[in-house]
Formats: sequence, C-alpha cells, structure tokens
Amino acid sequence: MADRIIEHPILGKTEKGKKVTFTFDGKEMEGYEGEPISVALKAAGVMKHRYTKKEHKPRGIFCAIGRCTDCVMVVDGKPNVRTCVTPLKEGMKVQTQYGVSAEPF
Amino acid sequence: MENIFDRSVDLGEFVPQPDDDMIVCRCEEVTKGQIRQAVHDGMFTITEIRRYLRTGMGLCQGQTCAKLVKRIVANELKVSMDVLEPASSRAPMRPIEMEVFARENN
Amino acid sequence: MKRFDLIIVGAGPSGLSAAIEAANRGMNVVVFDENEKPGGQLFKQIHKFFGSKEHKAKVRGFVIGEQLLKEASEAGVTVVLNATVIGLYQDKEVVVKIGDGVEHYKADSVLIATGASENMVTFEGWTLPGVIGAGAAQTMMNLHGIKPGQKVLMLGSGNVGLVVSFQLLQAGCEVVGLVDAAPRVGGYGVHAAKIARCGVPFYLSHTIVKAEGTDCVTGVTIAQVDKNFQFVEGSEKHFDVDTICLAVGLSPMSQLLKMAGCKMEDNPKRGGQVPICDEFGATSIPGIFVAGDVSGIEEASSAMIGGRIAGITAAQYLGFIDKEEQLTKCEENKKALDGLRQGMFAPKNRGKLVEKTEEGIPVSMNLLEKGFIANDEMERFPGVTHKAGVHPVMECTQNIPCNPCQDACPKHCIKIGEKITSLPAVDESVDCIGCGMCVASCSGQAIFLLDETYEEGFAAVTLPYEFLPLPKEGEKGYGLGRDGKVVCEAEVVQVKTAKAFDHTNLLTIKVPADMAMKARFYKKEA
Repeated sequence: MADRIIEHPILGKTEKGKKVTFTFDGKEMEGYEGEPISVALKAAGVMKHRYTKKEHKPRGIFCAIGRCTDCVMVVDGKPNVRTCVTPLKEGMKVQTQYGVSAEPF
Repeated sequence: MENIFDRSVDLGEFVPQPDDDMIVCRCEEVTKGQIRQAVHDGMFTITEIRRYLRTGMGLCQGQTCAKLVKRIVANELKVSMDVLEPASSRAPMRPIEMEVFARENN
Repeated sequence: MKRFDLIIVGAGPSGLSAAIEAANRGMNVVVFDENEKPGGQLFKQIHKFFGSKEHKAKVRGFVIGEQLLKEASEAGVTVVLNATVIGLYQDKEVVVKIGDGVEHYKADSVLIATGASENMVTFEGWTLPGVIGAGAAQTMMNLHGIKPGQKVLMLGSGNVGLVVSFQLLQAGCEVVGLVDAAPRVGGYGVHAAKIARCGVPFYLSHTIVKAEGTDCVTGVTIAQVDKNFQFVEGSEKHFDVDTICLAVGLSPMSQLLKMAGCKMEDNPKRGGQVPICDEFGATSIPGIFVAGDVSGIEEASSAMIGGRIAGITAAQYLGFIDKEEQLTKCEENKKALDGLRQGMFAPKNRGKLVEKTEEGIPVSMNLLEKGFIANDEMERFPGVTHKAGVHPVMECTQNIPCNPCQDACPKHCIKIGEKITSLPAVDESVDCIGCGMCVASCSGQAIFLLDETYEEGFAAVTLPYEFLPLPKEGEKGYGLGRDGKVVCEAEVVQVKTAKAFDHTNLLTIKVPADMAMKARFYKKEA
C-alpha cells in the first residue's frame, strides 16, 4: 500500500471509512468502504481495468471523475461501471472488462 | 446547418501520415487516419463524421475527443476550427442505463 | 413534477454562489450535482488563493468550499447530490437522474454552472494506463489520499500544470520534469518558482513523443519542438516514469445550453463552445443564466463572483428584487471581478508576451523560460532590498491581482498600494520584526525573510515550507538555489508553525553570508 498517503502536509491524516474486502478477478483484496473502487485497486497496484473491444488494448484511470469512462469494469456482474465514481462496498465482485464482458477474449 | 461547405472543393489526394494509426476517439477506437480518410470520403461536418465513424458516440459521448476530432477535420478541410459546428447536444448527457432512463419517478 | 423558482445545475463555486444570492432574496432554489460531494473542484484546491480580502485571498480552496457550503445551508439552499442532469428541454424542464430512475423538474429560471472538462493531447501511447489528466491526479491525491504514481512527468505549464506539480511533490511523488510545447511558462511565475526550487526541471519548447510500456506506462520520451511545433531531430530525452500527467487546458461543458437552444459561439478566448451571454450571465433565452467556467474558462475566484452576479440577476428576472437593487448589488461584484481581471495574466493578455511590468521593469526572461529568476535578474524588483538585521525579500515579479502580504505585516512595511496588481515594495523606513506573517500569507510562496548579518560570516534565510517530514532545528543539510541545485551547506536554526500560518511552516536556515540571495530552499542531507 505504498501509494496511500498516510499524512499530508496540508490535509493532515487521510480519513477513510472501515476496511472492507472485495475480489478482483477472483483475488481477495482490501480497501476502504465508500472510496471509489478505482482507488482501492490503485492501492493494490492494479493499473489495468479493461481491454478494449476492437484492439484489445489495456486501459485504466484517465479522468478519475466519471467523464471519460475509460476505467469501466464489470462490477457484481454489471459491465461498464465507472470505477472512479462508484463507491466500494463489502464483498463487491470486481472483474477486468474485456470489450463489454468479463469473458477474456 | 449554418456552415455549408462547398462540396465540390478539391481536397487533393489522401496522403498517409506517420501518426495515422493514433487512436483519437478512445471509446470507439477511431484513429486519426480514419477521420482524415472520412473527410476525403466526403464527410465534411462533425455530425457526418460521427455517423460515419462513431467518433464521440461511445460511452463518454465525446467528452474527451470532441475537440481533437474537430481539429483533425478542420486541418483536413483547411478551415479554422470555429467554422465547424459541433455535434448536436442531446439527452441523455451522461451514460445511463436504458432501464433507469425509462423509469420515470415523478 | 416539482417546481422551483430557480434550478441550478452544478454545485461548484459559481453554482453555490448563485444559489446563495438567489435564496437570500427569497427564491426557492435547488442545486443538482452529479457528484457524491458538493463543491466542484474547490475541495481539490489545497493551495492558498490569490486576490485580495474580498476574493478570500490566502484562504485555501477547500476551506473556501467549506465556507460556501455553510453559507448555502444557512441561506436555505437545497443541494441534491448524485443527481445527474441529463437534459434541459423547452420551457425550462430539467430531467435529472436520481437513484434508479429519472425525475422531471420545472423552474421559472435555470442557471447552468456545469464548469469545464479537460482538454487532451494525443501522442503515441496516450491511451496506456498511467497517462492521466491533471484533474485525475488532484482528485486521487487530495480527495482520496492516494498517490497517482511514484514518478511523474507533467505536460502543461499553465497554472493547473504548475499547481498540480507542486501538489504532487506535497503528496510525496517525484516530478521528473515539467514539459510544455510553448516557449514560455504559461502560468504564474511564482507557481513555477516554487516547483523549480524543489528541483523540478522545466522543458519549454518540448513535448511528448511517446509514452512507453506495453501494459502501462514505464517511461516517456520528450523532444524539443521548433517554432512550427515540429520535433527537432536528436533532441529526444527519456525518463523512467510510471505516470504522465496532462494539463493542457480546459473546455467549457456547455452541452446543456446548446441542447436548450441558447445561441452559442466558438470563442477561443473563452476556451471553446460558449453561450452568448451578457455581463450578468443572461443567455439568449430569457430566464436561462450561466456562471463560471461554462461561460468562459477562468478560475474559481472569478467563478464565485460571476455566480453571485447571475444569482442576483435571476432574482430580478423573477421580480424578487427590483432593477435598482440588482444593478447596485451587481456593481459591487463587478468591481471585485474587474480587480481579478487585471495584470499580466488578464484575459486580454492571454498568449501575449509581456516584456515589462506595469512599473516599467523588464520581466525575468529566465522565469518565463526556465521557471526561476536568475540571480542577476533579482535586484531590479522593488521587493528586494538590503539592510542590516531581518527584513523581507519579496520575489514577486509579475503583475498579478494579489495583495495579502500588504495586510499581513503588522508593521506595514510592505506596500502594494491602491492597484492590486502592483509589485510589492519594501518600506525601508519601517523596521521588520521578523514575525513571518508575510511569508505565510503569500499565496505564491515568494516572500523570504533575510538576516544578512545573522552571525559573523553567516546569513539566515526564512522560507515557506509545506512538506513532510518537517525538518528539525539543528538538522544539517543543503541550501538549494532557485533552480533547485545545491548551492551551499545549511543548518536549520528555527522551525515555526502557527495556526495563523495555516500549514505554511517557516523554516529558517543558516547559510554562508554570500548565499543570502541565492539559497531559497532546503534539502536534508541524504
């Protein structure tokens, strides 16, 4: 969790919700409740959120505010979920999106 | 349409450029070369380009590429960017599931 | 269908300001925002704002956000979050996605304050994970407490690129360089100077050739560009980075206005497609108003004032106040707005090279081309004086609308005068007491305290310090020059923190006497 900022010179200690577990492609991971799914993934070192439909190229966080839709993944079975604006919940099932599904090409 | 281009204008031969395979519309994976070629195919307005190639028609609805596409089309037509009308703005402005869109709560 | 007097789209600085003014005049106001939290981009702004007292200068952006929210709640404004406006139809019908469905609202007036979206540039590999917008970096580190990366390259030397680079350093990231295709730094010189002295190199007239990596960014190649923005062969430079941050301007998010049928124009000076509107924010459709970046890219301070003007005008439009009250109230706000639109970076000067200050002093070209003022350029500015004992040195060399330093000094030894953009000057007839209030109050972190006769052969330099860990008194390290390079050995002799300094710590370092005008930052011994 080297990416998490523990204490910030201006903002002080980073405040987070309670710790929850979720799965990413079947692997169990930890994050904080209410933070964007993408933040929990980033803290766990996950950069690739999906592979594009036509060229099968990797994509990840780009705008982080729900505009660009590049960070979409399959969440609890639903594709095209913007992980940068979707709060993390206990037990969420997060999967890499291939095209528009969780099935690898 | 306020800006009607002279359709008989000669754009010259399509000359390939080294960065033609660069993705411009990230959602629909449309390249610079495809956009340039589309102009040579007779697509002179942003609306026509959209219908022809689906640029700006993906999930993000052109949030990222609108200006980039416009610049490429303007360059190809050798006109300034501001004479190109942007694409129509329509609801829904943000990605929304059809199920939600159809559910009127009041 | 629910009805309101005024529906506002966007709970950022302009939308909230408009809501406050309208609600205070008796209007029934609702604000819709698609985000989980209100405040727009204000809560990501952790630096102190510029301007004067009326513009909330020297207050950090997120604190201004908290103040606005409090004011809005006291005024009785309803803010609905997670509410995405998906359409603005005829007769001011607003369709909003709330929860699992859509809701229809109607109002007698509508104010669009949707802000802006980031511009992007293309280069080989720009779709790789690890290439992000500057806004994304700000959101990740300042809202969610996570570093966007370990080693970052920033593209764009406007204020966004400069401010976000500094924030990256504060979050503990390494910024390997700041790149811009333009030949000169686009943003405030003081913002550039504070990252240059931390050792961030500036590469002007350079741009990104490609982002490297197969699965995500592992490096970047930049190269110099000529006058026609063509790559100069053989000028390529490579950096190992995991993140490339893009800060290449903003575009108004004006789609809702276009949908509603407002007359639009493509105005490069305002950042792109904007509604044609008058000085009160009224569009071509009676009852539809705009405020903030959606009507032309500026910054949060002017967005707040623009919001107030539009809110007051909406109240007059619906008869809640009369024309006279509207004009009087708007006049006060317009004066405040005019104050912000002065100086070298005023909208009318955009893209122009200003070679002399309003005082007739040649501008530091080194600052524009490399991000820091050269040693031999420093003495010509009115903020730089020398005398025995402690005294302020103000390395504020561009005319920007900002004056908190003038009010900060309890002894009144800093003078800006009536004109808010004038360069600060030292009144040498008054004795500095070394309190450091000016150092902490300077939003540009451009004020230092110098004691050139601190000890035999040594001088003391007091500098603003907003990083962790905070150095300790007695600690040994190095003095860095304005370019971030080591110029001498230095010892920390004092560390001052105070509530009044608002997280800007004052670090006093002891340096050899001849380094008094050269050492401007401190680095601990490795």
